Amino acid sequence: MGKRITLPLLLAAAVAATTVGNVRAADSSNYQQLQKKYSVLKSQMQAMQQQMAHMQKQMAAQQKQMKAVQQAAPSINERATRRAIKRLSRQVMKLSEKEAALEPGNIQVLIAGDVNVQFQNKSGGNSTFYADSSPMIQVRIDKKIFVNTAFDFYTASGQAGGSAADIGAANINYELGDYMTVGGGLITSPIGGIVGNYNPAPWNRWLVDGSLEDNLLPPNELGIWTRGGIPAPDNLGYLTYFLFVSNGPEFIGTSGVPNQLSYDNFTANQNAKTVGGRISYLPIPNVEIGYSAEWASPTNSGALTKSDSWIQAVDFNSYYFNKKIEGFVKFRGGWTWEQVGQGGILPGNPTSPPAFGNNSNGGQIDVAYQPSMCGIKYLDKMMVAFRYDRTDGPVTGVQTSGAMHEQRYSVGLDYWLHSNAVLKFEYEFDNVPDQHGSDAMFMQFAVGI
Amino acid sequence: MKFKNISTIRTIVLVSLATAGLALMAGCSNNGSGSKPAAKKTAKTAAIWPLAIKDPAKTETGAQIWSENCMRCHQLRSPSQYTPAQWGVIVQYMRLKAGLTGEQARKVLAFLKSASAH
Ligand code: HEC
Repeated sequence: MGKRITLPLLLAAAVAATTVGNVRAADSSNYQQLQKKYSVLKSQMQAMQQQMAHMQKQMAAQQKQMKAVQQAAPSINERATRRAIKRLSRQVMKLSEKEAALEPGNIQVLIAGDVNVQFQNKSGGNSTFYADSSPMIQVRIDKKIFVNTAFDFYTASGQAGGSAADIGAANINYELGDYMTVGGGLITSPIGGIVGNYNPAPWNRWLVDGSLEDNLLPPNELGIWTRGGIPAPDNLGYLTYFLFVSNGPEFIGTSGVPNQLSYDNFTANQNAKTVGGRISYLPIPNVEIGYSAEWASPTNSGALTKSDSWIQAVDFNSYYFNKKIEGFVKFRGGWTWEQVGQGGILPGNPTSPPAFGNNSNGGQIDVAYQPSMCGIKYLDKMMVAFRYDRTDGPVTGVQTSGAMHEQRYSVGLDYWLHSNAVLKFEYEFDNVPDQHGSDAMFMQFAVGI
Repeated sequence: MKFKNISTIRTIVLVSLATAGLALMAGCSNNGSGSKPAAKKTAKTAAIWPLAIKDPAKTETGAQIWSENCMRCHQLRSPSQYTPAQWGVIVQYMRLKAGLTGEQARKVLAFLKSASAH
């Protein structure tokens, strides 16, 4: 403010000085008039200065207000919008719950499953027709409780008039939250990923025959579990988990010799339980890498040996769906290590058989291609599939059933009538060192219900 | 029916599959028609984990989650194959199989219900 005052004063002084200089030449009346004019001008100028200062103050205040409004406005709007969205989504949830309750029947039952008819011809055996029906009763009790029961009725292949029935699933699942479900009962084992994820249903599979790796994997688990999917750290995809405690495996054959383990244990003739699970990582939805393991310490009541048994497996599954390749290509694979190790001698039984080691492993690589986008009638429904699978039995110790080393190459040609109905043709090239492998040919018509 | 000589079938299989394979590649290489692929990368948002799980599904649509996740294990099942009520049961089951989060499952279900022709 000081500078603003000094400038007019200097001006006034300058005007005054000139005026004084002129006074000498001018007469006194003129001088008085000038003085009057000067004082009028001076007061006008002061008034204007005051006005200007006032206006400046007003402007600064207005600017402050505007800034405050600018800052406040979006946050008020954002908060209000967020609140409104929350209110709306609460209303939507309530409405959809009401709507769900209004749907005829709260409990919803679905008969699903599959049926397949097969013809197979294995070298060294009789060719045979085979039929299998695996109905599933899936029930949605409410939005948290899901119940699944699966049966498997099939003709016992190669035996006239033979048929058999199995229970494939009997489980209850309860959703604890967005990232966790707990359950109990009988369920397809997640070990190895491939069986648990795709193999039970033939309309899910590209080839008719199961792989050699499948033979190493437990088909079911009878126990309790927790499973779910969670976003990975930093949102780099998703993680899935499936952890369980189930009935431990039992030794097959109690004739005093440690032998093969059966993981399909519904009777639990001993207390040993299996602990295991599978975790998988999906960096993008079409790529999944899994690791699974299960441990048990079963007792062979006949031979009185106790034996730690370990199964570990890695698996991967991916697909690439693009116009560039006129459709999609799918890759799957896995490798399983199985150790039924070093059966220790139980205390007080020095005569029981010596320790044994029993390691097996096996794996598979599967590739399938379907030109589903090529736009050519019939061709767009064709799929070519290839698999390499192998298994290596124990080199020392007790031999499990089947070949010690076996590897196969399988080629398949499928025709997909629908996404759940497929006609398959497969040829399997079988190699067992120093033996004649049993090549096989399969044809199958599989339908998912 | 009995195939006496499996090695004959073996030869037939090899030759016919090789021919079919070649024909298939050739038949499709010049064709430009067909729909756009549905597969796209997952939307990403920032997250602190595990303290606050921010589900990327919040930014994904139901249709996107369906097209990306539901063809991993089997052929993509069309929404019109089942009624909305049936989809309610299926998604509750497939959520477990596919390892979907609750949010993803709700979105897929909403999409399948609305896209179902029944
Ligand atoms: C991890 C593999 C996997 C994924 C991912 C998957 N499914 Fe499935 N789906 C299966 C298997 C296996 C079956 C056969 C039922 C069985 O064997 O338990 C099946 C069955 C079905 C069926 C037949 C009806 C029924 O309830 O059994 C439909 C429809 C279906 N899936 C839709 C979907 C949808 C929609 C998605 C995406 C949310 C999906 N699937 C993702 C493995 C999968």
